[in-house]
Amino acid sequence: MWTLVRQESFKLIRKNSTWISTSFLVGVEILFAFLARIYPKTFVPANMFESLYFSRPIINFYMIAATATIITMEFQYGTMKQVLYRRYSRGQILVSKWLAIFLYTFFWYVLSTGIALLMKALLFRHRLNIHQGAGDGMSIFTRGLAISAASFLSLWLLLSVVFLLANLFRNSAAAVSVGIIGYFASNIVTQLLTLLIQKWDWAKWNPVTMTLYPSMLAHPGYYQPLLRMQGWQMCLGNVIYIAIFLWIGYYVFNKRNV
Amino acid sequence: MSSILSVQNLNKNFGNKHVLHDVSFDLTPGHIVGLVGPNGAGKSTLMKTMLGLFNYDSGSIKIAGEKVTPQKHESLSKVGALIEYPGIYPFLTGWDHLQLFADGDHQLIHIQKIISQLNMDSFIKRKAKGYSLGMKQKLGIALALVNFPDLVILDEPMNGLDPEATKELRDLIISESLKGTTFLISSHILSELQRLAQDLLIIDEGRIVQQTTMHDLLASQGKQTIMLMTSDDKKARQLLKKAKFKTTPDPRVEVVATDDHTMPEVLHLLVEGGVDILDVTRLEGNLESSLLEVLKQSRIKKRLAEEEAE
Repeated sequence: MWTLVRQESFKLIRKNSTWISTSFLVGVEILFAFLARIYPKTFVPANMFESLYFSRPIINFYMIAATATIITMEFQYGTMKQVLYRRYSRGQILVSKWLAIFLYTFFWYVLSTGIALLMKALLFRHRLNIHQGAGDGMSIFTRGLAISAASFLSLWLLLSVVFLLANLFRNSAAAVSVGIIGYFASNIVTQLLTLLIQKWDWAKWNPVTMTLYPSMLAHPGYYQPLLRMQGWQMCLGNVIYIAIFLWIGYYVFNKRNV
Repeated sequence: MSSILSVQNLNKNFGNKHVLHDVSFDLTPGHIVGLVGPNGAGKSTLMKTMLGLFNYDSGSIKIAGEKVTPQKHESLSKVGALIEYPGIYPFLTGWDHLQLFADGDHQLIHIQKIISQLNMDSFIKRKAKGYSLGMKQKLGIALALVNFPDLVILDEPMNGLDPEATKELRDLIISESLKGTTFLISSHILSELQRLAQDLLIIDEGRIVQQTTMHDLLASQGKQTIMLMTSDDKKARQLLKKAKFKTTPDPRVEVVATDDHTMPEVLHLLVEGGVDILDVTRLEGNLESSLLEVLKQSRIKKRLAEEEAE
């Protein structure tokens, strides 16, 4: 299995887009750190640190694209056959792609957290104390980490859908579009979702609600009564939906002719 | 000797269309086997099914005694393949591709060996997006052979190769088969296949219509041709025509040998007719005409069987 994960990572590392997007992410973090330093009233340093200097949306968009292409490029370049007619089972091939993307997502979160800490140390040494309380018994730093963890989980909910669609359609455009729409959908339909949940309590268990997990942590006390959910329920809901979508994708991949 | 690949009663449908009908054959280790048939006969489907790319409805596929299915195919570690066209990642170099797919011990030695055997040194470190058709084809073949597998399945391997590269590939296939590697090669370049293959699988409309050796197929068609170089080709042709020998439409003087007596009779006739014979060559039957004849006979048989059934 690790040989396959290594091979998938090798392909990712050799793509120019990997390095361009990493540079872009670092550039955006540095830019927003400087903006927070110059215009602290508009870009509040504590909030900017919690949001990892605006890196999470970039990570989300890029990971949606990377997930779609890790499957669809094999069809586009005609390499899927070569990948499959080896001793490894289809299941192993797909799981290795999941693991490669998981490690890639993890790498981006670690990198953006590292850059955020570096920016804090360089630009806000005496102006921002990330260990000061930020409510709910958390410091700015621990809240930032908690939001990152929730964001990681809800991003993976989207990625599990992207994996499924890329498998079904062999087309990255369709998978990326649905992933990005899914990313915005939670914010767009929050009001409608709240109305539905107030009327029918069971409606809260839909996957779109689960994508609001990071928002719930970022705004303590605001989403909990509206969605009638606890943090642990959101966490569990995300894990269950990720497992369901990945399993459907696994089933489709095992059954298809290549 | 046990077979490296055994296919028994293999059936495959695409929806309502039955594309492989009770396909059965065995491949002997160390042999070069040609898989031939017209377009749409089921060659690529058969190859893809053997490689676990397609599900199948019934029958069995075994490689070195182990069953192959799309879900489980560990025995494919003994197989290298190139199907339809080489799959190439444009952002990787040829070397990266070989590194990616090389397996087991001595990977570096295997990579360097295959690069040198296929004469790929000049472009192997370049990104594949700039490769010509021939370079891509060579890389696809190198990927199939890089692990020096026991069984190699090649679909149209000569596509896009220049004469020099074709010869290099032919030499490589022969040398590897002498070391015990089995090759299953599908190609429409029948002249090339005739020079390579020892055994033949002829497939038509999803059925194996004949499994034979190249020698037996060519001999069974009885189409040996005698080619002559004479001092007066025009006169030679007239004499042969008058004596009712069967000649070919070739501009050279060619006589179709119906039995062992044809050659001395032809020589005698021409010498007596005052034509000097400069050279005589006996040509074997060719795969193209033999294959067409087998397909024709098989279709006639099938039609008769259908008519009888009605």
